[in-house]
Amino acid sequence: MTAVIRTEKLVKRFGHVTALDELDLEVVEGQTHGFLGPNGAGKSTTIRVLLGMLRADGGTARLFGADPWSEAAELHRRLAYVPGDVALWPGLTGGETIDVLGRLRGGIDKRKRDELLERFDLDPRKKGRSYSKGNRQKVALVAAFAADVDLLLLDEPTSGLDPLMAAVFNECVREVAAQGRTVLLSSHVMSEVEQLCDRVSIIRKGVIAETGTLAEMRHFTRSQVHAVLKNPVRGLGDHEGVHDLKTDGLEVRFQVDGTALDDVLAQLAVAGIASLTCEPPSLEQMFLRYYGDELAAKGVDNGGEE
Amino acid sequence: MATATAAPAVREDGLGTLAGTGKLLRFHARRTRVYLIGWFAGMVGGTLAIAASFPELYATPDERAQFATTMDTPAMRSMTGPGEYIDAYAGSGSAMFAHQMILWSTLVVAVMYILLITRLTRADEETSRLEVIRSEPVGRRADLAAALLLACLSAVALGVLIGLSTLVMGDADVAGAMLYGLLHTAVAVAFAAITAVTAQIAGYSSTANAFAFGVLAFGVLMSMVGNAQENAALWLSPFGWAQATFVFTPEQNWVPIGVAAIVSALLIWLAFALVARRDFGQGLMAARPGPSSAGAGLRSIGSLTFRLSRGLLWAGIVTMVLLGAAYGSVVGGADDIFDTLSDTQREIFTQQGASITEGFVVTISLIDAFTATIFGLLVIGRARKEETGGRGELLAAAPIPRSGWPGSYLPMALASATVATVCGAVFLALTGAGSVGDWSFFDDMLVGGLVHLPAIWIMVALAFACFGWLPRAGWLRWLPWAYVFIAGYFGPILELPDVMVNLSPYEHVPSYPVADLDWLPLIVLTAIAAALCALGYLGVRRRNLQFA
Repeated sequence: MTAVIRTEKLVKRFGHVTALDELDLEVVEGQTHGFLGPNGAGKSTTIRVLLGMLRADGGTARLFGADPWSEAAELHRRLAYVPGDVALWPGLTGGETIDVLGRLRGGIDKRKRDELLERFDLDPRKKGRSYSKGNRQKVALVAAFAADVDLLLLDEPTSGLDPLMAAVFNECVREVAAQGRTVLLSSHVMSEVEQLCDRVSIIRKGVIAETGTLAEMRHFTRSQVHAVLKNPVRGLGDHEGVHDLKTDGLEVRFQVDGTALDDVLAQLAVAGIASLTCEPPSLEQMFLRYYGDELAAKGVDNGGEE
Repeated sequence: MATATAAPAVREDGLGTLAGTGKLLRFHARRTRVYLIGWFAGMVGGTLAIAASFPELYATPDERAQFATTMDTPAMRSMTGPGEYIDAYAGSGSAMFAHQMILWSTLVVAVMYILLITRLTRADEETSRLEVIRSEPVGRRADLAAALLLACLSAVALGVLIGLSTLVMGDADVAGAMLYGLLHTAVAVAFAAITAVTAQIAGYSSTANAFAFGVLAFGVLMSMVGNAQENAALWLSPFGWAQATFVFTPEQNWVPIGVAAIVSALLIWLAFALVARRDFGQGLMAARPGPSSAGAGLRSIGSLTFRLSRGLLWAGIVTMVLLGAAYGSVVGGADDIFDTLSDTQREIFTQQGASITEGFVVTISLIDAFTATIFGLLVIGRARKEETGGRGELLAAAPIPRSGWPGSYLPMALASATVATVCGAVFLALTGAGSVGDWSFFDDMLVGGLVHLPAIWIMVALAFACFGWLPRAGWLRWLPWAYVFIAGYFGPILELPDVMVNLSPYEHVPSYPVADLDWLPLIVLTAIAAALCALGYLGVRRRNLQFA
């Protein structure tokens, strides 16, 4: 599988602020890649470097194997982009904007455009200045999904959409993925990422804190176990993979590292299990775990760990 | 004024719709203080500077009487004011000052108050800042009331300051000075009231501005027509009311101020009636739906850039046509005017002992060139606005090289400045040749205007280079213009050293038709402009784009 996006030790500074600090990101062809991180972590900066709007200060970035800075215009033929905060021309209607963006990339499929307008329930005759945030977002989404491109760069694309439109958006991304196209989806909406993405990268302070499939990431994070045992179990608290053990007679609750799961369950089985629930961590919990120290610094309880 | 006219509205709906006006007034004053202080400083400073220098230019009654004879033509009256002032020239330098100043000075005040009112009303609604305020315990009419109240109070203060500034002229009396100030207040309040109404009607703040500026243009036109033909059209214009006070003349009268007050009061009453009839964020005029798909012409980055900045092109054409025609109409009288000038002014106009009319054409062409340059610089400013406003982000992600976006703004800026210059030169030549009565003069004046093009291109290309290399320093785009304007216009008077004056590209343009048409400097200037264009493209290609 070829990498559509690859950055190695990518550095971007704004004055004294280091926005990207040796960032390594890889998205392979056909993948829908979730890009998570708190505000200001560097998601938009990464995307703008990939779009050749910002020049990298160090490391390399490759888009379809080419330099996104020096070959921006050629590369843009193969991609479509939806910015996080869509600004439209006040005097141009939504329809005009979609058309002009389509024509700049060499033409627009009229049928597809009209179908998308219908699905997103967007009135193309309103002027740019009179659209709400959600509707501005829809204009950019219709323009992007109508484009016949290999890669979609979506920067928090659903931030202004209502749940119904967010569902339409999910559908569109799935269709794009089914056609074998590549998507980089930056988002704060965990359910969206869990539903759509094959792989996830979590960015924090300009570096990738974690990357992998959701299954892999779950493996490296903790599951919540609740069991009612037939006999008391000993030494569970001494196991290095077990955290936050709470014992109430024969009832135990604890968190367990993904790597220690089989070991610990075997130990429970020895004692005899009356009932057992084992919940894998949600993406949200994983996300909170990766920002654990930031949240702790602000005095927020991040799910009882540590 | 606002409190008095707000009364009927109060009786209708109870005090509720005006609740919170006082608090909002303080809030508005706080937010607009920089805007107000800037305009105040400009207006009062300008009045002071001109009032202080005026008596020296025309010191004796004889000089003024002589100048008066050249002013009393329909063309000159339309550019200044009614003949009543001209009759008083000899007797009073202040009357001459008022005659020359009122139209232009009140015009600036009108612009200031149009922008102030739309800013505080519809523009705030659009950005949803006002939405936060409306959710507070504040009445439906309170923001309009506070905006108008602020306009009225600041207009009175501005009037008093302007009035006091005129007292630096020795022969200005206190009553006249107060009337001169108050006529500015009257025009300010009138345009605040007009804008308060257009803000209720228009669908957007930009349309509200456009309507109000339409009224302003109508006002200027009626004043010009009324003064040229000496008829009642003058009374259809707020500027006409200001001029009809005949301030500082023996016929001085306060009645037009009363007319302005009554009309303003009626307009404010209308605005208050309308504001309750429309929905928040919407005008009475529903926003018309536009085309659902783009026309065939809108298919390249160049055509998009043209579409987005063609308004500036039109503004440039209209301004330059008016300017060219206005100056052209007085070229014929250049010899007469010259006799009345003071020595310093003669120095400006006389160049290398050529005919006075030709020297006059050179000076006018230079002023036209400075003005036309502005429209090129404004287009470059538009490119920066597209970038910081974030709209360019959609284009920067499209398969267009940087030379297309934001690069296409350079050809658009060059074209706008060029078209504006050509229009100015053509209309100067047309009306100029007409007023001289010699059509052989047409070519001379046309070429005299067009020779400035290479210098104009340099200024526009320089602004683009600044945009390419130092985008954050917006003032840097205007500083060179201010510099060459001062060097070119005031250089001889201020006796600037040659090195400083020669930095200006306009200094190297052959003074055609006074001097011969020398091609070498024109070619060199064009080459420098081309080099600056290349430098600008290089900067645009290598820098980060700065989206919000």
